[in-house]
Amino acid sequence: MRSTRQRFSFLVPYLLLAPGLLWLAIFYIYPGFQMFLTSFWTGTLETGFALTWNVDTYGKSLTQFGPQFLRSITYAGAATVLTFLISFPLAYTIAFKGGRYKNVLLFLVIAPFFTSFLLRTLSWALILGDDGIVLGPLKSIGLVGDDFRLLATPLAVVSGITYNFLAFMTLPIYVSLEKVDKRLVEAAEDLYAGPWRPGGAIWGAVVGFLIGALLALAFGYEPIVLGPLGAVAGALIGWFLISQAFLRVTLPLALPGVFAGTLLTFIPAAGDYVNAELLGNPSTRMIGNVIQGRFLTLNDYPTAAALSFLLMAGILIAVAVYARLLGTEELTAA
Amino acid sequence: MATAVTAAATPDLRPHRSILDRAGRFVHKNLLYLYTGFAVLYLLLPVAVMALFSFNDPIGKSNIAWQGFTIKYWLDPFGAPGLQDAVVTSLEVAFLSTIIATILGTLIALALVRYKFRGSSTTNILIFLPMATPEIVLGASLLTLFVAIGLQRDFLTILIAHIMFNISYVVVTVRARLSGFDRRLEEAAMDLGATELVTFWKVTFPLILPGVMAAALLAFSLSIDDFVITNFTSGHTVTFPMYIYGANRIGVPVQVNVIGTAIFLTAVGFVAITTLVGRRNSS
Amino acid sequence: MTDRSAPEKHGISRRQFVQASTMAGFAAFLAACGTKGTGGSTAPSEAAATTAPSVTGVPSASAAASATPKPSPSTVLNFANWPLYIDTDAKVNTKHKTLEDFTAKYGTKVEYKEVINDNDAFFGTIKPVLEQGQDTGWDLMVLTDWMAGRVIRLGWAEAMDLGNMPNKVANLKDVYLNVDFDPTNDHHAPWQSGMTGLGFDSAKTGDLTSLAVLWDPKYKGKTDYLTEMRDAVGLTLLKLGKDPSQATRADCDAAIAEIKTAVDGGIVRAFKGNDYAVDLVKGDVILAMAWSGDIVQKQLEKASLKFVVADEGGMLWTDNLMIPKGAQHKYTAELFIDFYYTPAIAAQVEAYVNYICPIKGAQEVLLAAQPDIANNPLIFPTDATLAKLKIFKSLTEADETYFNTQFQAVSGA
Repeated sequence: MRSTRQRFSFLVPYLLLAPGLLWLAIFYIYPGFQMFLTSFWTGTLETGFALTWNVDTYGKSLTQFGPQFLRSITYAGAATVLTFLISFPLAYTIAFKGGRYKNVLLFLVIAPFFTSFLLRTLSWALILGDDGIVLGPLKSIGLVGDDFRLLATPLAVVSGITYNFLAFMTLPIYVSLEKVDKRLVEAAEDLYAGPWRPGGAIWGAVVGFLIGALLALAFGYEPIVLGPLGAVAGALIGWFLISQAFLRVTLPLALPGVFAGTLLTFIPAAGDYVNAELLGNPSTRMIGNVIQGRFLTLNDYPTAAALSFLLMAGILIAVAVYARLLGTEELTAA
Repeated sequence: MATAVTAAATPDLRPHRSILDRAGRFVHKNLLYLYTGFAVLYLLLPVAVMALFSFNDPIGKSNIAWQGFTIKYWLDPFGAPGLQDAVVTSLEVAFLSTIIATILGTLIALALVRYKFRGSSTTNILIFLPMATPEIVLGASLLTLFVAIGLQRDFLTILIAHIMFNISYVVVTVRARLSGFDRRLEEAAMDLGATELVTFWKVTFPLILPGVMAAALLAFSLSIDDFVITNFTSGHTVTFPMYIYGANRIGVPVQVNVIGTAIFLTAVGFVAITTLVGRRNSS
Repeated sequence: MTDRSAPEKHGISRRQFVQASTMAGFAAFLAACGTKGTGGSTAPSEAAATTAPSVTGVPSASAAASATPKPSPSTVLNFANWPLYIDTDAKVNTKHKTLEDFTAKYGTKVEYKEVINDNDAFFGTIKPVLEQGQDTGWDLMVLTDWMAGRVIRLGWAEAMDLGNMPNKVANLKDVYLNVDFDPTNDHHAPWQSGMTGLGFDSAKTGDLTSLAVLWDPKYKGKTDYLTEMRDAVGLTLLKLGKDPSQATRADCDAAIAEIKTAVDGGIVRAFKGNDYAVDLVKGDVILAMAWSGDIVQKQLEKASLKFVVADEGGMLWTDNLMIPKGAQHKYTAELFIDFYYTPAIAAQVEAYVNYICPIKGAQEVLLAAQPDIANNPLIFPTDATLAKLKIFKSLTEADETYFNTQFQAVSGA
């Protein structure tokens, strides 16, 4: 028995992989390779395209659409940070305090995303409208100017992406937190003597300031607006919520989930176009919008394909760097 | 049980706590709940607006200004032309693609985390690629493939596409659960004479189940909400998101809000009821 | 193709699924080994109707066609249209009386699908099919004139047998005849038209008459432009005193520069499709480049909304019925078009859709039944208004690419 099992055990991973990879090979890799070839085409729709191995498209695409690439990375990065800030405490509470109602809470998090994206976005547009229930009162008491708006701004685009990817951050973090043995955390709390006050507050303030300033930059506001706000929030969180036990035990155990969640958010967000289209303005277009326009409106399939492969290459490099930084190489290279 | 043990041990291990300390712990506890409350509120706010407007009685074709309360659209949820077919198609595609993609993706995740084999790093990269590919490229290249092999665009082609883009999300999510998985548990089971299959069902599967469930939920949400890829692969079939995007040109019918709210309530209600029933049974 | 909710369909789906996925895998493998074929492996299935195939570009001689024996209508007709673009029963929303009337007359069930949301996106879904010489599965589709022109240039539209369509020949309004992309009038049949002009909230802006308001800093951040290049550039050209029906590349450059000043000055809030109408109702914008039919609909919700064809002029566009190359039921499609061109049916559609009806006699029918619609100048514009409207020039592919590239750049992508 045992020897047979060992003899063929090298086959097991391949058998597990086979059905899924076959599916991807036929319905992703093969058509994707065709699309890769498309990026080397020249021609037009009406005169016909031919495979000429023209590589200039790549250079042109990169130079012409540099700002949109940069903006996509910035917005996706900002949205990833924001989803993390919202999702982690949420996932933590569900996993550690949810008790019996874990599943109900989990469904409350995911079920909004079973409704339609467009409905959710239209709802947000109603809430955040220039004279809506948020801005209307603020304007009437003179707290913000009459010209102030939330929609059709970078903030709206990033918020839209943030909202729509919340579940993709929360669920993986929950999944990895949920398996953490609570007794381990309690033991750690005892060991490290509870909250990590002054140190936590100082670190929290510094990290909060940096995050606030970077987000402000991403939104196109002055860094000084959000920096101090971030510092205060960070200090509060650092003082009250972050303990040595959390940093040394819970967070490391949650890392696989954080890693998965950030990837599930950042990667699709970098290629997103629909939030920028519905919530943005002419200066918030992302690379996804360019690809959409090149493909559908201009029928410039080679450029659309080249832009896509540049984006994919950029994302893969970013993922590799990120994996190394986080020390989770074993997650990407088992 | 665990809490009882720690509680008993606390006086000996923990240093003496001041009132300030206790106040801090109180804030600590409640700040987290407050934060979570706000997060949940934020998540549910647009759903609440959507639900509210499912009771609206608009004058024109669009449903963006509150005009008056009515339940008539709840009594006639499929009254909008073509809506029923679209919703049924979307639910079928979502359920089937979720089930199939979750199985395929979980198997890949198991292989990647638990085994060392040739080609594992290539597979790792491959898994991220579909997520990184712009949707329009996925959709258009799939359509070209379907045309080339003469496969009529229909329910089946939508399903194929949805399984394809869901697999990666499943793999990444399940892997988050699997990493750090203690293989000794499985080895112990097998040493006790359990076969691979029995070990999987009795030991491995229960441990990864939350991950598989989370992955399935993500896959379902991706599938039921996909527009771009579906638009390329659907042929004559109209899905729920396609219906909404189309209707949005003139005005989304109130019934769409009704269906959206109903799907939300069904999902949450189902879990709430199973939880309550489960509690009653266990107690 | 049939009702997806039919119970027996489920079993079939799954069986087909297994078979097809096996076949698909094999076929993909074969395809990977072979070279990219230009000709489709399957010839377009011959039309169920037995009409002699008409040669693209050559107008069918009506006399010759009517001499051949009439084929019988098919049992189904596959019709792809835009959402809410046909009359819908007020009580039973799934009923479209026009389609039922057609069924009653010819016995043909119309498989009516609202799958077109956007010319470009729909083109993306039929292009790979037509390119391979395969049948799209549609017998009728509705495309805006510039897209119709492209499809005709590519040879992807069937020439209609006008001999089968006496009403279409007789009742199409003269304005729509002899357009440059279809001089023989047999590759397209106008379904609905619309005007592009100024849409605004008159309670906030007062009466507006000039396109210059679209550049007025007074409405900074409160103005939406249209994403449709021909509408945005067309209105800009009119503002500059140029004629969109004669637009040159130099004109395009001038228009783009003009739009850029509004974008850079923050006057343009966003470039929008139909969503601008929602912005107008909500009050997020108070002025927009607008389509007449949208404003007619939104006036019900916000009475202060107005649509105006400005003094400088406005744009006229048309959505057209077309028969895609290789359509299975070409003859029945022709019958349907001709059926739509009877004034009573056109009036029935018009009363619901509220864009501009291209069919003679429909207004007269409506005058008796629904005078408010027949007398609405946005639905049946006066001759004075019509005279101010311009149809955007039919662009060559190279020019179209040039115009679109410039416009994409200024609108952010």
